[in-house]
Amino acid sequence: MSLISDDYFDYPNRGPQMDQGHYGIRYLRDLPKFEWQGGASLMVWVTVHLEHFPMDMPRGPVKPIGAMERPAPSVWDYSSRDYGNRVGIYRLMEVLDANGIRPTAAMNSVLATRYPRLMADVLKRGWEVAAAGTDMGHLHHSGLSEAEEKALVAEAFGTLRDVSGQPVTGWHSPSHSQSAVTPDLVAEAGGQYICDWINDDMPYAFHTRAGDLTQMPLSYDLSDHKILAAQHMPIEDYEYQLGAAFDMMLAESRERGGRILSLSLSPWVIGQPGRVDALNRLLTRFMSADGVATATGAEICRQWTALELEA
Amino acid sequence: MTAWAEPFSYDYAPYTGRPNIEWPNGARVAFWVAPNIEFYEYAPPPSPTREVWYRPEPDILNYSMRDYGNRVGFHRMADVMARHGVRGSVSLNVAVCDHFPAIIERCCELEWELFSHGVYNTRYLYDMTEDQQRQIIRDSRETILRASGQDLDGWLSPAISNLETTQDLLAEEGVKYTLDLFHDDQPMPVKTRSENRLVSVPYMMECNDVPVLNFKNISPRNYLSIITSHFDRLYAEGEESGTVMCLPLHPYLIGQPHRLHILDEALKYITGHDKVWLATGREIAAHFEANYYDSFQSWMEGAA
Repeated sequence: MSLISDDYFDYPNRGPQMDQGHYGIRYLRDLPKFEWQGGASLMVWVTVHLEHFPMDMPRGPVKPIGAMERPAPSVWDYSSRDYGNRVGIYRLMEVLDANGIRPTAAMNSVLATRYPRLMADVLKRGWEVAAAGTDMGHLHHSGLSEAEEKALVAEAFGTLRDVSGQPVTGWHSPSHSQSAVTPDLVAEAGGQYICDWINDDMPYAFHTRAGDLTQMPLSYDLSDHKILAAQHMPIEDYEYQLGAAFDMMLAESRERGGRILSLSLSPWVIGQPGRVDALNRLLTRFMSADGVATATGAEICRQWTALELEA
Repeated sequence: MTAWAEPFSYDYAPYTGRPNIEWPNGARVAFWVAPNIEFYEYAPPPSPTREVWYRPEPDILNYSMRDYGNRVGFHRMADVMARHGVRGSVSLNVAVCDHFPAIIERCCELEWELFSHGVYNTRYLYDMTEDQQRQIIRDSRETILRASGQDLDGWLSPAISNLETTQDLLAEEGVKYTLDLFHDDQPMPVKTRSENRLVSVPYMMECNDVPVLNFKNISPRNYLSIITSHFDRLYAEGEESGTVMCLPLHPYLIGQPHRLHILDEALKYITGHDKVWLATGREIAAHFEANYYDSFQSWMEGAA
């Protein structure tokens, strides 16, 4: 008797489509050539993660980068993450302001009420507020009931819309973790784009039971989370990789049409004194190149949708 | 199941005193590139032996990371390889022929070899009966023939999941070469229960982008020198007797914007040497089988 049953070899999804119904197959190289508004070929999209890691957060089943690592109670882990919301973020604001960049702030909603001064400084700069769950102790995954998850989505959008006065149409599932229904719940709550899947460098239409969302390309392998906090690489490796990505994407955008370069930044990681100057050097180089523009996620999403490039 | 303490697929063969290998045109190194073109399933049937995904399903982070290779990375990688005149020998989850036929069309246009890396990368050989393994091998043969007109000559077990009988079954089913053994820098005869010959072709994990970039967290800044140092030594040793250098890659990793230049620079460096045979896995296995299989076999019998 085999441990593998006969129906193991049936392969019901084996055909000219994906094995889930969220999107069709599109090869990036088949996108028609286009320019962003104003004639730019490369759009720099900066996302700043504003995250709150409760000291008593669960340690599973999905552990975000930055989760409590040491025995509880870990004041070490907690306070070094909270550092980002006190100190690192103000360094980032200085660097982004200096380079004329308004990012998307992907916020855990508890921060909107917990740190009103931080929220005011985000809004004063015209940053886009996107919802990124409630806090890092409440990730979205299949262990939640739909009702529990729906309440989290409602709380995140509701709080951020109330406090910011913005429509808040973007959603990021913290740590790129979704349940099977997260996109449905986001669409039902009035979200217009998500940025959780990392299978493309450009937006694409993402089907849900409540209509299509736009899936925006938020980078993961190029995030400071991944490179600096998870892979423990020195800042020189971050600078090297981001620089290489920019060179490649700028060249590809000139040859093949509009592209997006996504920078996924966390103040507790990149906002350290020994790291933030590298970010400044990168952004200064990026933004002084010909054919480079920058916008928020919602703005890029609107431009993308208006292009109607997807058949 | 009985304990399985060693593969029994080969005899001890020291890297000294071997018969000399001469590659075509006096080349020192047979260099081949093995793009792994893979499909990881969103909701695979569970394996009794191994957790398929890292997070509770759906593990959209890891699923979508791999999907990037097929949507974006593959064509970029193919462009770079074509520019350097380097063909690929594709380690193919054969279900890609059904999901992404345009990828297979481009591989055929570029005259790349297709060999099997199982049906899906989320389907392991673990726990299969011999007949079930045979079913995977035959599916691979039929699918590759239908999609490309090519014979199935090579094999890399999906996720390198090997069973005690896998190499025997490959030989019985007419597969010519296997990549499952990482025991050598030259091709070798493989011991099986079959009368058919099976050759082991080197497939280098040391230069494979998954272990380098995903498991060991080595920076792309250091990846190029890992490849070129590996090549330099094999090129030097190849003056005495031909060696093999394999560059195993994954479009979802090397095809990303911050890494593509490494492939470009590595191929520029390697093709800049004149005594390099730009080969496919099939060509290396066939050259060895025709010219050296017997001499290696009798040498090993004497050396044992």
